[in-house]
Amino acid sequence: MDQRLEALLQTIQKVLPDVDGIIGLKVNAAGHIAPHLFRKEAPAELDGLAIWPKYPTPDTLRLIQKAHPGAKLGMVVRGCEERGVVEMFKHAQVDLSNISLIGLQCTREEAEFCRCAKPYTAHAKLTVGEPIEGVPDPVTEGFLAKTREERLEYWKEQLVRCIKCYGCRNVCPQCFCNVCALEDEKWVGTGWLPMPLPPMYHLVRSMHMTAKCVACRECEEVCPADIPMAIQYRLIAGDVKEMFGYETGVSMDEKPPQLLVLAEGEFERTGLPH
Amino acid sequence: MPEPKIIGFLCNWCSYRGADTAGMARLKYPPNVKIVRVPCSGRVSPELVLRTFREGADGVMVLGCHIGDCHYSTGNHRAAKRMPVLKKVLEYSGIDPERLCVNWVSAAEGERFAKIITDFTETIRALPPLTEEMTWTKG
Repeated sequence: MDQRLEALLQTIQKVLPDVDGIIGLKVNAAGHIAPHLFRKEAPAELDGLAIWPKYPTPDTLRLIQKAHPGAKLGMVVRGCEERGVVEMFKHAQVDLSNISLIGLQCTREEAEFCRCAKPYTAHAKLTVGEPIEGVPDPVTEGFLAKTREERLEYWKEQLVRCIKCYGCRNVCPQCFCNVCALEDEKWVGTGWLPMPLPPMYHLVRSMHMTAKCVACRECEEVCPADIPMAIQYRLIAGDVKEMFGYETGVSMDEKPPQLLVLAEGEFERTGLPH
Repeated sequence: MPEPKIIGFLCNWCSYRGADTAGMARLKYPPNVKIVRVPCSGRVSPELVLRTFREGADGVMVLGCHIGDCHYSTGNHRAAKRMPVLKKVLEYSGIDPERLCVNWVSAAEGERFAKIITDFTETIRALPPLTEEMTWTKG
């Protein structure tokens, strides 16, 4: 058994007696991974505990809390999932007072797979595995080197494959709105493939990911057409950090920037005329 | 080359009055901008701007009160926060961010209004029609 999986299993068994259940990933008979609520009444289920491939669990926490508010839960989180939970907490989607986070540190291979800058947890009191430094993102860097015309061509090549399955939105740990702009005929029309340009679906989604994307790259992972939309979300996250000093999912009490008024000096950094 | 189509979202309290002031002073500026009066520049959502491009506009203007002068105190802060990000989204999508103009015009600034409209129309004139760029590559 994988050393990290074994250590995680031991930590879970330590936490399990004190909580109602633990959210983690379980492998089913067909070999697929899915989020699962491990309970002490069914200890045998822990045999199916899995850590890879990853799957975002913040939304699982949100749904369980909706049905069972106040449940005392443990939750296995990677760095990206922890950021997702923190961001959901700030948007009043989850309550963290009864949640104990179990941090699972990513390995170098996993971080390279995700092109992750922060493959480690920051808030979890219990952790499993050794935290490692972030890795560079050659795909996004390569994209940045392109001219405007090349970027347009690049996205045309990529987006012509989009079948608008909404998989990227459905898997996203930050897409929890009850009413989604992407389902509104006013903004995203239906009935065309490929969709008319400019690609409203992708542009609106990029805009809505501002200060929300936790860089988990799940949207790219689930995409049946392998469209690397995370490139845009990541670049925008960098701009938001520069303009508004906000880093998604890092601090528990720093407020997201879009809803607030301009702070001292922020207007100057937006680059708008006076 | 056909004349560029530009849609301008003007806030009711400052920029729209600024356009009136320009008119009353008989200032000349290009007729390309079709004006849509909105209650506040903060009303202009990114979706609205993007849809305007999709409907065939070559340029979109969002004009509001100067920061600090908003009729709703901080309505234009929303525009000042969202529009720079939208410009970045356009840039990363390969659409020239120059096609989106965000600026501030007070009710007294007729000349400033005429100048912003003239400059922006010139900027858009120098670019190819957006509909030409927004076609799928044959292949």
